Amino acid sequence: MISKKERLRVNIVWVIGIFLVWELGAFFLAGVLNDPMADAKLPYLHTIFWVIIQNFSELLGAAGLTFSRAILGFILGAGVGFLLAIVMSLSKTVEKIAFPYLIFSQMVPVLGLAPIIFNLVRDMNTSRTIIAAYITFFPVSVNMLSGLTSVDNEKKELMYSYAAGKKSIYFKLMIPYSLPYLFAGLKIAAPMSVTASILVDMLGSSGGIGVKLLYSLYSGTKDMFWASVFTSAAMGIISYSIILILEKKFIPWKKEVVQKEGA
Amino acid sequence: MEAFNYTDTTEFMERDFSNSKETGTEIKIENVSMVFPDKNGGEPVTALQNVNLEIKQGEFISLLGPSGCGKTTLLRLIADLLQPTSGNITVRGETPRDVRLKKKYGIVFQNPVLYDWRTIRRNVCMPMELMGMKKSERTARVTKMLELVGLLDFGKHYPYELSGGMQQRVGIARALAIKPEILLMDEPFSALDEFTREKLQIDLLRIWNKTNKTVIFVTHNISEAVFLSDRVVVLSPHPGRVSAVVDIDLPRPRDMECRQTPEFFDYMTKIRNSFEGV
Ligand SMILES: Nc1ncnc2c1ncn2[C@@H]1O[C@H](COP(=O)(O)OP(=O)(O)OP(=O)(O)O)[C@@H](O)[C@H]1O
Ligand SMILES: [Mg+2]
Repeated sequence: MISKKERLRVNIVWVIGIFLVWELGAFFLAGVLNDPMADAKLPYLHTIFWVIIQNFSELLGAAGLTFSRAILGFILGAGVGFLLAIVMSLSKTVEKIAFPYLIFSQMVPVLGLAPIIFNLVRDMNTSRTIIAAYITFFPVSVNMLSGLTSVDNEKKELMYSYAAGKKSIYFKLMIPYSLPYLFAGLKIAAPMSVTASILVDMLGSSGGIGVKLLYSLYSGTKDMFWASVFTSAAMGIISYSIILILEKKFIPWKKEVVQKEGA
Repeated sequence: MEAFNYTDTTEFMERDFSNSKETGTEIKIENVSMVFPDKNGGEPVTALQNVNLEIKQGEFISLLGPSGCGKTTLLRLIADLLQPTSGNITVRGETPRDVRLKKKYGIVFQNPVLYDWRTIRRNVCMPMELMGMKKSERTARVTKMLELVGLLDFGKHYPYELSGGMQQRVGIARALAIKPEILLMDEPFSALDEFTREKLQIDLLRIWNKTNKTVIFVTHNISEAVFLSDRVVVLSPHPGRVSAVVDIDLPRPRDMECRQTPEFFDYMTKIRNSFEGV
């Protein structure tokens, strides 16, 4: 186990290292190879940050629009996934009926699904939300279910020996036991829901970070393109970090869980 | 739900014998056999064969035997965690299931079986929550129980922060907390050091003496069985069956000096010989 201080030092070294390598690479491309497309292929990192700072409020507005829909969809999808896992664990029949469809639902590419949803609801915000929810529910549901089904027998027998009812068994044993599994699913789903939301932007939205990405790419404003890419990445990282913080708060006891693949 | 009287200051819970058909006999085990089918299609395992045993109300009885002789299996049959392949078990004339549904069992499992997400206090509290006890009573009772097992300072800790022996003591506190009428203990002290074990043996006898509840105590330690019990049931393996029942007529209350007496050693020898006769 490495200490907090040590980890911070390692992180700082990494950040500085990446920064230097990037800058060197950009210099090599522009200064040594004299590549005329250098600022599109690999612009200097400091110029990207400069562009972000210059267009901060614009980028923040676009990111906020996309992010808020992603969060809404994420919460919806997580809720549906959670409930679905509970119902499937309560009834083997439901699990047998629902599970194959669950798997099937993941075979439909979001890229194909998004225009269909958009055509149906005819509203950008609703589409973003629905797609983000659609992406989220599966990893959440699968991970939660795998938690619920892995509760050891002895722990159940304790409940049984005190003649506990179904409700008590779920609230005092099954759900708290499965929380680490649930969070494993949420951690997979959070950045995915952001990605999905950005994807929907690109289908012809009037706002959002996806639009910025698309327009800057077509109009050749390379700096803005890279600034948008960085903003998108930051959104994914932030979404993941939020889940990490929540996990620390809700799971103060230790438990290592092997993450299940979400998709 | 059963109405429990938790307001009494003693450990003792009023016992109700009104629906006991045979007053005096608490648990009757008749011709019980337990066969586990092998999952891989091999030979089925006969864990218990034709076990007959009558346990009196208020008796402290030990199930003694080597590993794999079916001690845990017998305990689980009484607790309604398993159904016998053949034979019959009655507890005060009722089925084990009825007794379980009335929440009259307290079980200390061979492993501590604590809930990782609950602090020590909340682990001990759990059965009381299931019984619908008031919060103020629960809190008072948890404190008392943790004091008894010497873990009062660890109430706010999580199970992973405790040693194996400490976790086992939490399991004991949890079982005692609801004042069960029948206490089933599966090697509760085997993970403890000698000092803690001897202290808890004395404590257990003290509690039992005050409450007069029926205790079925599984152990593979001969001296422990003799020290604690009214009767020692010796089980032998392959297939598991009762090979001897030894009455222990040592005076009570028993203290550490009791272990030094010639009578104590006589009992130990007698039990050890009953193993060799197998
Ligand atoms: N659920 C089960 N399925 C199959 N076989 C079992 C099961 N439980 C117990 N057995 C078998 O029954 C026999 C008795 O097991 P049991 O756990 O009752 O022994 P024990 O006397 O408690 O041993 P120990 O002192 O090691 O705890 C063993 O041979 C075991 O393999
Ligand atoms: Mg055992």
